[in-house]
Amino acid sequence: MRLPEIGFGLVLVGCLTACAPASRVILLPQTSGQPSAVEVTAASGAQRLSLPYQTAEVSKQGQIELKITAPERVRERYGAAFTSAPVADEQFILYFEPGGASLTGQSQTLLPTILDKARQRSGGEIIVIGHTDRVGAVEANDALSLQRARVIRELLVSQGFKPELVDAVGRGERAPLVATDDEVAEPLNRRAEIVVR
Amino acid sequence: MKTRMVLPLVLLLLAAGANAQDARHGTLKNVTGVVTVGSGDTLRTAVPGGGVTQADRILTGPGASAALALKDGTLLMVGPDAMLELTTVQFDSTTQEGNLVVNLLKGSVRMVTGWLAKMHPEQVRVTTPTSVVDVRGTDFIVEVP
Repeated sequence: MRLPEIGFGLVLVGCLTACAPASRVILLPQTSGQPSAVEVTAASGAQRLSLPYQTAEVSKQGQIELKITAPERVRERYGAAFTSAPVADEQFILYFEPGGASLTGQSQTLLPTILDKARQRSGGEIIVIGHTDRVGAVEANDALSLQRARVIRELLVSQGFKPELVDAVGRGERAPLVATDDEVAEPLNRRAEIVVR
Repeated sequence: MKTRMVLPLVLLLLAAGANAQDARHGTLKNVTGVVTVGSGDTLRTAVPGGGVTQADRILTGPGASAALALKDGTLLMVGPDAMLELTTVQFDSTTQEGNLVVNLLKGSVRMVTGWLAKMHPEQVRVTTPTSVVDVRGTDFIVEVP
């Protein structure tokens, strides 16, 4: 049994140096289960990968060969690509008292949880994303949403979280939670989204 | 718009002083083994929480790896013995528009795309010396053996 295996091994080694591709692309399944794809372009043309674990091997001459690999083989060869991946973002929503930038009582009680969650992560960050309703001009709402985000950012920094790891972002009225016509006041849209990453 | 006029003055003062956020385009998450980051001759040791910017290269030693998140949430997991260049990293966090190109010179990288690719997948790509990978989905590996 042993000899043929050794022979096979030698053939493989020979091939690794002579016919290893110059680059390789492997499509992974999307965690949501939705269809995914990438397009690989080389000197000879373009190929689309659209099946999970479909692989494109590109030779030095720019020829693309499509293959399919197995999940276990990918895990084996690219272990760190999976073990080093940060866990998925966590999201929270904070609401403001009407007409200002102070948080509702209930939202304030979430801040310690948010800080805890971020501190548990390696290189953990907090992204504060301010949103407004559609009352007022787009530019004014951009500024207002950013101001709201900055107020929360300051609160988090004042609790000892590293300033360089908290980002304040204003998205204005672009991403409402509740769709409304323009110039409609909607308390649910006057909010800050918190992403712990 | 009337109610907005009563925004406390504090807000405006904060807005003026809050530009102190640094110019980083991404943040290192998990770092294992010897990993250096930088551009040109100025290389620094990568540590979790450290920043990366456009034009930086991420260099991993044998057995080392690094995971980083860009501002739009794109995750890059760089495998051992790799060299990855952050060629173009532009992201407007208000409009979520921008442009992302990373160039893999050696080793492997897994990319899980973020907010930019969700709206503008055509603005995200990975290049290698022999190929260009255009994003139509979210999760893939590129290797330059």
